[in-house]
Parts: sequence; C-alpha cells; structure tokens
Amino acid sequence: MNEVLFETKGVGKTYGSNTVLHDIDMQIHSGEVIGLIGENGAGKSTLMKMISGVDTPSMGEMFYMGKPYVATSIINANHQGIGMVFQEQSLVANLTISQNIYLGREKKYSKAGLVNWAKMNKDAKKALERVDLSVDPGKKVRDIDMATREMVEIAKVLDVVTEVADGHAIILLDEPTTVLSDDEIQQMYVQIQKMKEAGNGIVFISHHLDEILAITDTIYVFKDGEETAVFPTAEANLDVLYEKMVGRSTTGEFYVENKQTVHSDKIALEVEDLSLFGTFNHVSFKLHEGEVLGLAGLDGSGTEEVCACLVGQAAPTAGKIFVDGQEMKFTNSYQARRNGILSVPKDRRDEGMIGILSIEDNITISSWEHLKSNGLLSGKKIRSTAEKWIKEAAIKCTGPKARIAQLSGGNAQKVIFARALESNCKVLILNHPTRGVDVGAKQEIYRLVREMTEAGHAIIVIGDTLDECLGLASNVIIFRDGLISGSFDCPVSGKPSQQEVVHFMM
Amino acid sequence: MNNKRRGLLETLTVGQQFVARAEDNARMDKIRRYAPLILLVIMTAIGGISQKNFFSWANIVNIMFQMSIPLVISVGLSYVLLLGSIDLSIEGNMGFAGSLVAFLVINNSNSNNFGIFGIIVVILIGVAVGALVGFLHTKAKIASFIVTYAMGCIMTGAAILIYRGTPIQVKDPMFVTISQGRLFGIPYITLISFAVFIIGAIIMNYTAFGRAVFAIGDNEAAAASTGINITRTKIKVFALCGCTAAIAGVLQCMRLKLGQSDLGLNQMFPVVTAIVLGGGSVSGGKGGALQSFVGVLIYTELANWLTLMGVDTNVKKVIQGIIIIIAVTLTVEHNRKTVVK
Amino acid sequence: MKSKKFSLSDLSQYMVIISVVLVFLVFTVLNPSFVSAYSLQNLMVEISPLILLACGLSFIIFTGGIDLGAGAMVSATCVISGLYVSQFGNGIIPIMLVIGAVLGLLNGCIVAKLKIPSFIVTLCTQNLWAFIALTLCPNGSVAVDLSFRKEIGWMTSKLAGIPIIFFFALVSIAVLFIFQQYTSSGRAIFAVGANIRATRLAGIDTDKVQIMAFVVSGACSALAGALYAYKQKSAVPTIGDALTLSAIASIALGGTSMAGGRGSVLRTAIGVVTITAITSGLNMMGIDPLWKNIIIGVILIVAVYLNSDTKGRDIIVK
Repeated sequence: MNEVLFETKGVGKTYGSNTVLHDIDMQIHSGEVIGLIGENGAGKSTLMKMISGVDTPSMGEMFYMGKPYVATSIINANHQGIGMVFQEQSLVANLTISQNIYLGREKKYSKAGLVNWAKMNKDAKKALERVDLSVDPGKKVRDIDMATREMVEIAKVLDVVTEVADGHAIILLDEPTTVLSDDEIQQMYVQIQKMKEAGNGIVFISHHLDEILAITDTIYVFKDGEETAVFPTAEANLDVLYEKMVGRSTTGEFYVENKQTVHSDKIALEVEDLSLFGTFNHVSFKLHEGEVLGLAGLDGSGTEEVCACLVGQAAPTAGKIFVDGQEMKFTNSYQARRNGILSVPKDRRDEGMIGILSIEDNITISSWEHLKSNGLLSGKKIRSTAEKWIKEAAIKCTGPKARIAQLSGGNAQKVIFARALESNCKVLILNHPTRGVDVGAKQEIYRLVREMTEAGHAIIVIGDTLDECLGLASNVIIFRDGLISGSFDCPVSGKPSQQEVVHFMM
Repeated sequence: MNNKRRGLLETLTVGQQFVARAEDNARMDKIRRYAPLILLVIMTAIGGISQKNFFSWANIVNIMFQMSIPLVISVGLSYVLLLGSIDLSIEGNMGFAGSLVAFLVINNSNSNNFGIFGIIVVILIGVAVGALVGFLHTKAKIASFIVTYAMGCIMTGAAILIYRGTPIQVKDPMFVTISQGRLFGIPYITLISFAVFIIGAIIMNYTAFGRAVFAIGDNEAAAASTGINITRTKIKVFALCGCTAAIAGVLQCMRLKLGQSDLGLNQMFPVVTAIVLGGGSVSGGKGGALQSFVGVLIYTELANWLTLMGVDTNVKKVIQGIIIIIAVTLTVEHNRKTVVK
Repeated sequence: MKSKKFSLSDLSQYMVIISVVLVFLVFTVLNPSFVSAYSLQNLMVEISPLILLACGLSFIIFTGGIDLGAGAMVSATCVISGLYVSQFGNGIIPIMLVIGAVLGLLNGCIVAKLKIPSFIVTLCTQNLWAFIALTLCPNGSVAVDLSFRKEIGWMTSKLAGIPIIFFFALVSIAVLFIFQQYTSSGRAIFAVGANIRATRLAGIDTDKVQIMAFVVSGACSALAGALYAYKQKSAVPTIGDALTLSAIASIALGGTSMAGGRGSVLRTAIGVVTITAITSGLNMMGIDPLWKNIIIGVILIVAVYLNSDTKGRDIIVK
C-alpha cells in the first residue's frame, strides 16, 4: 500500500449532549478511493464536514501528510490541499465557468485591479481539460447542463487543491452521481481513476452500492455515528455490506412496542397514484386509524416530498388524495390542517419552532380556533392547555411564558408534538421525529406516538433511522429513487429485519 | 406545462424527469433574459410610429440627454440590487450633494469659490455616507431598506439645513459651461454620464470585486465559502452607490444651476423601474451594467412616449409602480431560502 | 450564557420607558412650561393621529414587513376626508375606515399572493396614494367650508380638559391591543414575523394573516388621515410626507424589532409620545425645525440597532 496521506484518529462530534459521530479511525492512502456508506444520519456527512473545514471535531485528531491537521474554513482546507465537491452545487449561475473556477482567487489574473479574462479563460480551459471537458470556459454556468456543472465543480476543486498539493491532495465527493445518467457516471469513473492515478486520495459517498463496488478500493461502513466495518472492496459483496450497514437492532422495549396498536379498518387517508414530476412517481397507499405507517427510503428517494404534498406544501403533478373518503386538493398547510392533516416538520429550528415566541403560543398555535371564549382568545384557556401539555409530555421549562428557543432540542420537539396533538388533526405526519434529540426524550416521544395511535390518530413516520422506522411502524413502505420498491407488515411479533428492508432501499 | 409533464411521467424515469425539470427552468430563464431586448425593440417601434422624427439625430441626442442622470444613478444602484439589497437614500444623497456643491462653488448666497475641489469634496462625502450605510447594514445587521431610508431622511434634512429655505443659485462659470456645452452636438452632461457608466461597467465586469457582487447576490453562503470578504464587498457596494448618487446630484445641480434638496426628488424610483425592466432582480444575482443600460433606455423611451401621449406626471408614477410589480412578479424566485421581508 | 446579566436586548426592552421619562425630565428642567396644562393638551392633540398611524403600522412591522407608503396613505385619506366631510358629515369617519381597509387590502394581497417584498410593493403603491391626493387637491390645501367648521370642531374640543381626539386615540389603542392579544389573527401576526415557514407548517393561513396586518394598518392610516383633516380643518395633500419616518421611528423606539415577531402597540404608543415630545420640546427651545428629520432619522437608526439581534445565528440580512 502507498503512503498514508490523511488520517483520523478517534475523531468524534457532539452537539450538546448528543453524540452524532464517535471514535472514527480512517486512513486515506495515496492513490486510494475510499467508499463511504451508511444510512441517513449515520455520520458520513458529519465526517466530511470536519475534513473539509465546515465544522470542527469535538474529539480526536486528524493528520495530513503526517502533520496535525486543522481546518478553520472550506477555503482554509483548500489551501492545505483538501477539497470537497458538495451535493448541492455551489456554482454561481450568473458567472462564467472560468470566473467560477477562480472565484476568490482572481489576484493571479489581475493587473491594476482589472482582471484579464482571456488569460483566466486559457487557464480554465486547461483545468477543464484535466477532467476531459471541452466546454468553452467563457460560457455562463446557467447555460450549461447539470452534468457539465457537476464536472465543472470537480474541475474547480481539483484545480484549487492540486495548486498546493499536486499528487497528494484529498478530494471528497459527496454523492456526485445523483444528477448523472449512466453514460455520465462512466465518465465520472474515468475521472476518479485519473485523480487516483495521479496519487491523490479520494473519498466517494454514494447511496448506490453498485457504484461503490465498481470504483472504490476500500469501503468504510458507518452506522449510527460509528464505524462498523472496514474492508477492501475486493472482499465485499452486497450481502455483507447490507449486514454491516444495519448493524444491531434495538429491542422492542425501546420503541414501546407492547403498546403498538392493531389498526382499525377505517381508512383515514388514501393516496392514489400520486406523482410529483422529477421527484416521485406512482405512489399509492392507504392509512387506517390507529396505524403507524413508516415511509423508509434514503435521502432524495421521495419520502419527504410525498409528505410535503400531503400537507399542501407541494402540488402533485398527478394523482389523488382522499381524506375520510373525500377527494382533497390542498394549496397550503392551513387547508390541510382544517381537513385533519398536520405535520411535525423535520427541520425543527427553521420549520417547527417559532423561536422568539413563548411555549404556550407554540403549543396552541394550531388550535387557537378552539381556545376562545366570547369570540376572543382566552388567555386562561391557552395557559391551562399549555400547562396540561407541559405536565403530560414532561417538558422541562421555567413556565409556559418562557421562549421556546431556550429549550433543549428534545423539549422543544415535545412542544411541537404537543402542538400536533392539541390540533385535533386525525392524520399526523412525523418527519424525523427524533432528529437531534437525546435518548431520554426519544423514549418520551415514542410513548407519545403510541398514545396518539391509541386515541385513534393515523400516523405517517419518516424515521430518523431505519431502526426507528421499523420499531414504530405497523406497516412500512419502502422508496427507492422516487418509486415504491417494496412494503412490509410490521406486527409486534414479526417485524422484518433491517437487512431485509435495506435491500429495497439501495 | 403540467399536462405535458403528466404525459412524461410514464416515459421518463424519476431521475430523467429531474434533469428535464432543471432544463425547463433553464429555458424559462433564457426567455426572461431576452425579454428586455424584445421590450426595447417594441418601445423603439412604438416611438418610431408615434413620433415622426424619432430616429433623427436631434431626437436621439435628446433621449441620450434624458437618460443621463438616471444612467448615473443606475450605475451604483445596479450593484446594490445585484446584492439583493436596496438603497433608499439615493434621493437624499442627491439632494445633499446638489445643495452642498451649490454652496461650495460661486453662488448667490456666499463668497465660496472652491470650483472643482468643491465637486470632489461633495463626491467624497457621498462615498463616506454610502460607506457608513454599508457599515451599519453589515455590522449592525440592519436591513438595508431601513438603514437607507433613515439615512435618506437625514441627508434630506441636512440638505435643507445648508440653504435654509432659499435654494442657492449657482453662478459658477464652470457650471454654466458644462451644462450648456456640447461636443459633436452631444451635451457634456450626457458625455459625463456615459463616462461614469463605462467606468461602472468596467468595474463590474473586469474586477474581482464586480464578480464577488454577483456571487454574493446569487448565493451568499457559497460566496463566503470561496473566501470572499462579504462585509467588505457590501460596504464597497454601498459606498459606490453613494458615490454615483453624489455625482448625479452634482450633475442635476449643473443642469438646473440650483442647489436644493428637491434635486433628488423622484429620481430613485424611475431607476428602480428601469433596472427591473432591464432584467435586474430585486432578490439579487441577476442583471448587470449592460442590462441596466437597456433598462434605462427602455424606461426613457417609455417616459418619452407617455409624455407625448399627454399622460400626467403622477399617473406616470403609478404606471411605473405597476410595471415594477409585474416585472418583479415575473422574476422573483419563490423557492429561495433567504426570505426578503 | 447566563453569566452576562445585562445585554443590549435588555436595554431595548426598557428603552422606551427610560427615554420617555428622560425626555420629559430634561425638557421640564430646561423649560418648566413644557408640562403646563396648555402644552400637554397641545401634545395630546399632536400625538393622537400619529398614534393611530404608528400603532396600525406596527402590525405590518410585527410580520417583518414595512409600509413605506403609510404617510402617503394618510395624505390621500386626509384629502378625501377634508373634501367630502361637508357631504357625508361625521359619517366620513366610518367611510374612511372602509376605504383604508381596501387600500391596505390591495397592499396586502400583492405582498402575500405575489410574494414580493413589502418595501418594494409599498414603494410602488405609495405613488398611487400620492396620485389620489394630488389629483383631488392639485393646488395645495383646501380648507373645509367655513359653514361646516362647527360640525367638525368637536374633535379638537375638550372633555374634562382632555381633547376628544385623544380619547379617539386611547380607544383605538385599546381596540388594537385586544386585536393583538386576544384574536387568533393578531397573535398569528407575531408568529408570521418570528418564523413564517414554521407558522405556515403549523397550519396557519399565513397569506391571510399578512393581508390582515395590511388591512388593519390601512384602516388605521385612513383614520389618522381623517383625524388630521378634522384637526387641520382642511384637506392637506402633503400632510403625510414626513409621517412615515416619524411613525417608523416611534415603532423602533418602542422596542419593536424591525425583523418582526416582537413588540406591542402599547410600546409604539409610548414611542409616539417620546418622539413628539422630543420634537415639540426642541421647538420650544428654539431649535430650528429643520433639524427634525435629522434627529428622528438618527433616533431610528440607533433604536433599530439596539433592537436588532446582532449576535443571532447567521441570518442573511438583505
């Protein structure tokens, strides 16, 4: 094996009391392509962020070329020879390709403050040729297609890092193949091969295991923030990878499975052949009262967008939604709530909490219609409702008047749950209900979910982990690339194994 | 669009649909980009039909003269709108610059005679005021519309304080020469404004600073990650806008040979209209010097035509307002994460 | 976090009380007649329409928006009231409420439905209001017919030594306070300003809430316009020119955040008292009224700075 370019020793990351990444040891050799796989939230992105300078580790050490490595920003990491191609493209559409490649590095081409675009274009042409792109660097980014943009992005990162570290640079590719067609993916492989042959180290993240098996040399498997397996790609096969990715399941007790209800026959929500152009197609399912329906799938598989359509956040291209047998079309979440569908959003801080308002306002906002006396809102009713939930959900706070922003993640999440429960909505959509919540609060939330179904609510869950999804759900639908790829019954006695399910996800 | 897509649901995979959607957006974008040029052709045609000697040299010079001061204002304002911000202090700055320059050169109310130095001082003050606005906006994190609104009110007040009631009449021969002089039949004021425009366009298109402004307006987070100093760039933008507002104020003072706060009155709104007409977006990242030029030209032709049709000034302003709202509705990006309130 | 007991945001909480007390203290010391019955009565007449304007405008600012045309709307409605009061008598007041609500509705619909930033929208629509004012009164102020002066005189007459116009302001504050505190729309206005995305996802009709804020503000501005017409006994097409600044400055001085989500009409009302006291106090001291705009402008910037959350998370401020 060649020399070690980059190494992490015991690296980890905690947010508050929440550990999202733990004790990671990784070695990147010169001329090696590392494949990084794991479910959503397994910690892949967190590790990439720390290597690329977006975030700093809470523990452990990193070494680059044998020396301790600290990156304070993306640009700082670039200057040391480490660059990342981000999932969401970071090119500026209104600038030309060459201006994008040299954005922030124009000095070299400036004379008396004026930039010599011709000279920059010439260099850009060379940079593009390195990835076999023959596009005119004077073209604006908005005029080139998605695949070319992806390659330009790679050319840009490659140019930045090889400027300082030619032959020993580290290039991180975070799901670079998502927008590419099969032919374009083959092109990408060729480029990765070239970078590798030049002696650079590459980390390649993908949800498509066939890609991982095709291009990498070593595979690291992450699970719940831990490194569960490392092995040479030559020794890997699909079954082993699946097994390592899902790891151990948690006991049923953790998910309060003894309280899992058998759903009634009454259909609360029915979705028929729902499609959103470019996101998901032909989705149909029935949701009964007292049922917890799990939607399992990787990021971008369409699960979240299905839910967005159900609460009027997105307009489906085709298909029908029935609530209590009535066909519905929602243009906003207000109409969805008035017809009995409300969601607990995924991004708690931006979509859930109304930060500078009080806990009582946050709990009662979806049910103000019911808290009136003589036509006016009753401060007393609002207060007592809030106090009821603070007690019932064990929300730790100084009182209903305190701002929700002051609460910990778990307690804030309980407030949002209280809001959903108080809203009288029959169908509740729980989008990553325990994201960024500590273990104690998780259990509390699971208990609330069981109480909801007992009260006859119908629930859709997009689990934070597959384990959680299976643990909570009484039925599971699995999405792959925007299509339903399979479904399982999940009675308490016979839950499918994660391995069985993950097979349909990837 | 939706029907077409419904048909494609069967034939394309989800991934192909995703790419198709992105390409649809790119196509719409292209149409939007050429819309201002089409508009310019239409406006010119209307002008040609409704005015007999529209294409005569005299009329062309006249249009160029009319667009002079809006063009100067547009130079700085284009940068600000590219950021996605706004500068409501332009009118105040112009009024102040015009009043102060009248006070500093030969005039009827005092014995000052600073000549060209007066002009330089006034422009430097414009830069300083703009920089202060940018500083407050970036460092104190106050939304630009509120800082610039307050600053505009302050500058208007300060302008009135200079002359206290009676506007100053300029007697400086230099001002008279500039306002009346012509080169090849083109007024000096027009030549100056075109020069300012060209300098502004060069800065926008041939410096790292100009590119940084585009990057910030398009995607501030991404721009920051490439090492662009966001704060400094923004302060520079507002300073530049203050500078061009001051130049516009001085030119306005030359034209009218009068120093008063009203020099800036109703000067900014037409330019916002013009920039938006030219394809600039109020949410930032779109437009540019040339686009603004096209916008100012369209606007001037439109205003000309409205005057010809005998439309009242106040009605004209209402029409401008409607134009802005329509144009912004067509160009505003609804799916962006940063919400401009 | 707790170690830092005193912060700027604490200061902004009490800023309005401190400043109103300070202003009255300073001016009374400088000129004892500042608190004479006569000058207080004057102050009450002076602040009443502005209280209406500023309190109404507060709701737009609670949503995180702005109305740069508020003053122009006052001009337009003052003109309409002044010109037509002789035809409709005191019935002009409810009529103005309706007109104001409709004008506000127009603003609100454009902002909420077309999703255009409010400062752009109101920058445009203010031209429409100015157009109304200047078309109806092309040659400057028009006085209300002499024969009719008596009928509108009651507004500025006094009851128990207090001008009736001031009662008007007090009742309006009370109504607006109830709206703000005890109606779901009123409370939702703050939620929209604090986090519009989350509020929408909580199942609130945010479009309706935003429109409601503009409607309330429009109605209040129109009422303020009518009060100015009663007070000046004329239709004055330029009355609102400087009022937008005073109103926004009063709101900011009251401690209301320009980013939305925080504030109260009561605070705004005290802010109006402070701003008006400052200007009339400076007037009494013989300071050139030309300084007024400059002083209020500076107050606005300072107050907004104190209210703004500078160390908050990385919000991109445009």
